[in-house]
Amino acid sequence: MIAFSKNLIMIKKLIFIFISVIFFASCGDGGDDDTIVGPDSQDDVREVQIDPEKINGLIESFPSPIEMAATIEDLRVPYSKKYLVPTEVAADFDSNFEKALGLGMLSADLGYLNVYARKNAIVEYLTSIKRLADALDVDQFFEFQTLKRLATNSNNLDSLMFLSVSSYHDMDEHLRKTRRSNLSALMITGVWTEGQYLACRVNKFKSDKSTEEIIAGQKDILKELLSVLEFFDDKPKFKKMNDQFRELLKLYDNVEIKLVEGEDKISYGLDSIPVIEPGEHTEIIYTQEDLDKIQNKVIQIRNNLISL
Amino acid sequence: MKKIAILIAITGLFIFASNQEAQAQCKQQRVYHCARKGGNAIYLRDFNTKLKAVRSERSINGTKWPVVLNRGTRYRFILCTPSGFANDVKLTLFDSKHPETRPWNSTEKSGGNMFDFICKRSGVYYVSIRFKQGKGKRKTCAVGILSFVGKNQ
Repeated sequence: MIAFSKNLIMIKKLIFIFISVIFFASCGDGGDDDTIVGPDSQDDVREVQIDPEKINGLIESFPSPIEMAATIEDLRVPYSKKYLVPTEVAADFDSNFEKALGLGMLSADLGYLNVYARKNAIVEYLTSIKRLADALDVDQFFEFQTLKRLATNSNNLDSLMFLSVSSYHDMDEHLRKTRRSNLSALMITGVWTEGQYLACRVNKFKSDKSTEEIIAGQKDILKELLSVLEFFDDKPKFKKMNDQFRELLKLYDNVEIKLVEGEDKISYGLDSIPVIEPGEHTEIIYTQEDLDKIQNKVIQIRNNLISL
Repeated sequence: MKKIAILIAITGLFIFASNQEAQAQCKQQRVYHCARKGGNAIYLRDFNTKLKAVRSERSINGTKWPVVLNRGTRYRFILCTPSGFANDVKLTLFDSKHPETRPWNSTEKSGGNMFDFICKRSGVYYVSIRFKQGKGKRKTCAVGILSFVGKNQ
């Protein structure tokens, strides 16, 4: 009787283990494809009631840290290291707020160095980014040794560019998945601000219609960025930064973005790749005075942010 | 009894492992190879997804991602799938004015596995990767690449 009872207990335990294994297996990654994570925790561990689907979607949509650099290089603008955040300044970023913002800015700068193939400076910036990634506990997505090796081997610049950008996206994704969307929002803010700063500095050095339109054409993207940042308006540091972006958005009031209808075109390049050119396009209407004010404000905001 | 315990543990682990495999996205190596297909275009980001077998029209089929594109830039979209799935999967580019049913373009619409898009309006667009209609009897993964071709001056 005792033996039977022991066996029964053992069987019950085994069934429990089996069900647990099945349960955890089914929990793996089996949710809907458009995965989102729950509410974020803040620096002070308070939870904020936000719409996680909306915020993660907005953050995810933001441009890659290399895009503005690629645009500037494509416009044949000469390289200048003085446009970048000095690494010694980045070493002083001490709060998570500053580190996440700095991680975005330095990632944009790394993109700039990558497209201009500046190997020595790349290693210097990789080291700074590694330090920030360590502090934010996302270093496992930043393959520092591989990146450093690729940077010192000039034949592998394509791989370096690929790995730098994919590491950035992996760190950003990890922050969102671990309910740290506030830091992820700061990363995209850093990328956007540094990209705009580069465009403004380049345009001040050599004014060009394309660069001007990049800067003036950011009205709707700035609105998108602010709609992310305003989720965190109840935090003093965010509030202070957001006020500056709100002032910048105000300067865009006179910039008109007009939608013009037209006929779509499809052509084929030399490589036979189909090229779609929408007929519907925008015209950006602004004055030189508007542009100057916007540029000065972008430069001021970026410089304020790195001297927090 | 110990034998039964070991058997259950192994079965459980097998179920767990095979489930993880079924849910997997494409490996990083495939993403890298796909990015290289863009030629001189600069890799900006990837859209990596698992595609579950479609058992009915109501099954969840694929993934969509929002993406901000900048006016005046020529972008390249590339779709890569494991061998045997090239004709089963499509990548679609759309926005709120041109919904997925009437998109800007898709690999299905233009043929081949890549196309270029000259952005004429800065804003949020969407990229989706899904099985084409009637396809998708077997699960797979797929990768989309967005890359920068140049400014369209």
